[in-house]
Amino acid sequence: MTVADGALPIRGRAPASARATTAPRGWVPAYVVLLGAAFSLSAASWDIQWHIDVGPDTFFTLPHLFLYAGSALSGLASLAVVLMTTAAKRGDREVDAAVGGRAVRVFGGTFAAPLGYLVAGTGSAGFLLYGLFDLWWHSLYGFDAVIASPPHIGLLLSITLSMVGAVMVFAAAGEHSWGRIGVVLALTVMLAFSLVAAQGLEEFEGGVIDAITVGITFLTTLVLFTAVGFLRNVRLVLGFGVVFALLQGLLWWFSPWATRAYAVAVDLPMRDYVMGAPLVPSQMPMSLLVAAALTWGIMRFAGRAGRLAAPLGGFLVGALVTVCGLAQSALVYGYSIPPFGDLVPTIVLGAVLGALAGFLGRRFAVMLRAMRESR
Amino acid sequence: MLAATGLVLVSATPALAYPPVETVHTERVQAGPYGITVGFSVWPLRAMQSLDFTFTPDDGITGKRGTVTMTGPDGHAHRTRMARHPRKREVWGMDTVALPAEGGWKFTFAVEGPAGRGEGVTKDIQVLPQPGPPMALSWSIGTIPLWALIALLAVAWRRTRGIVPEGV
Repeated sequence: MTVADGALPIRGRAPASARATTAPRGWVPAYVVLLGAAFSLSAASWDIQWHIDVGPDTFFTLPHLFLYAGSALSGLASLAVVLMTTAAKRGDREVDAAVGGRAVRVFGGTFAAPLGYLVAGTGSAGFLLYGLFDLWWHSLYGFDAVIASPPHIGLLLSITLSMVGAVMVFAAAGEHSWGRIGVVLALTVMLAFSLVAAQGLEEFEGGVIDAITVGITFLTTLVLFTAVGFLRNVRLVLGFGVVFALLQGLLWWFSPWATRAYAVAVDLPMRDYVMGAPLVPSQMPMSLLVAAALTWGIMRFAGRAGRLAAPLGGFLVGALVTVCGLAQSALVYGYSIPPFGDLVPTIVLGAVLGALAGFLGRRFAVMLRAMRESR
Repeated sequence: MLAATGLVLVSATPALAYPPVETVHTERVQAGPYGITVGFSVWPLRAMQSLDFTFTPDDGITGKRGTVTMTGPDGHAHRTRMARHPRKREVWGMDTVALPAEGGWKFTFAVEGPAGRGEGVTKDIQVLPQPGPPMALSWSIGTIPLWALIALLAVAWRRTRGIVPEGV
């Protein structure tokens, strides 16, 4: 794959002839990509809960069907847009950059792909390829039922990449209300998926640092500062926090319910010691709405002094999300909070990585805004 | 989607008739008054390769409870409450579990029952090296999307370097 020089969005505006004419219809493929990812997220949460609460696995399980069908749906929608864009380019018709962003040349100009859909489609294709890798892995190692295996992390990172593409697609249509709302929804699904991928940090557990909590803090803070910098609207920012909480509640109900219902349907018993809290929603930070309000407040107060405020604010937000994350784990899994001294290394690292996330998130917001401002 | 769901529920049911737990090797442990047979569905064991373990007291599991502690070659131990095997409910056991490291492993059993409390440890159970490619290679393949994302962000960062972020 080659990307033409100047393909990524840059500052300045293209001639009017190259600009939006079909944007109102652009919401259809964009929301199909999002719907596919939402299917995959629900299925991933269900599948993980199935392994924890019931156990055995084959390729032909219902959660797997939804997982792969969701990704296929996202991939096919992306492919359709790429093919339509390619046909439009070849027919010398105008290509609407509000539909997925500026079109870039792929495979030496064989295809013209809107950047957002190129990323989303690549993520979906990667997901299906990692599915094959996973099948091979299980044929070699058996059904190990852990999240932190190379093919599983590849699958989760592929969906995260796909969702980054979806965020770009909606950002390109940021002048439309469906685009801004789509950014909120896509960021929600992207963050939820990336937090599952953060379980891969289990490989680094065992020392004085709670690596998974720190990873969740970094990703949450990064997405929050990106959201605030891109949306620049307090209602949308708080809406992001509310939608995230609703998704968490939905998965909290759905995952155990679907697991039990499916176990009954296939006549398998639940394990003797079933976990009280479903894993995926348990890992989603309950502090997100408060952290979103704090991030908004800091960046609003800072105004144009955001260069300094972003890392400083990220430090504070990172510390908040880390402390709340540690308390949430204790609350949800029913164990007592360790002595404060034992938590200090994790909190300090969470705050420092929060500062980095604040700095990066502010820049990522600029990149997202460039998706629409370069047209 | 509903049709596909229905189709899978109907067609996959035979596939979901999960195979019985087969035991191809056993070890004996005496935990105080309780004799326990430890069953393995795969033998010899290899690191990271999952299998079914069964733990069967001589006179059954009724009225008993206990724990099993698996201690790896590095001395790291992991204790689990005894639970019925999901596909062989009349005995204790574990499914989809792999021992992560090669070397000598010990299983320590603590059982409480009508005859009181007893503890026992298996002899060293040798786990052979993991099959397949080195983990570094597997992880390199598994994290390709992450590196692709970082590369994308780096290019986008460079292309937008001149833009000064506005305040909110």
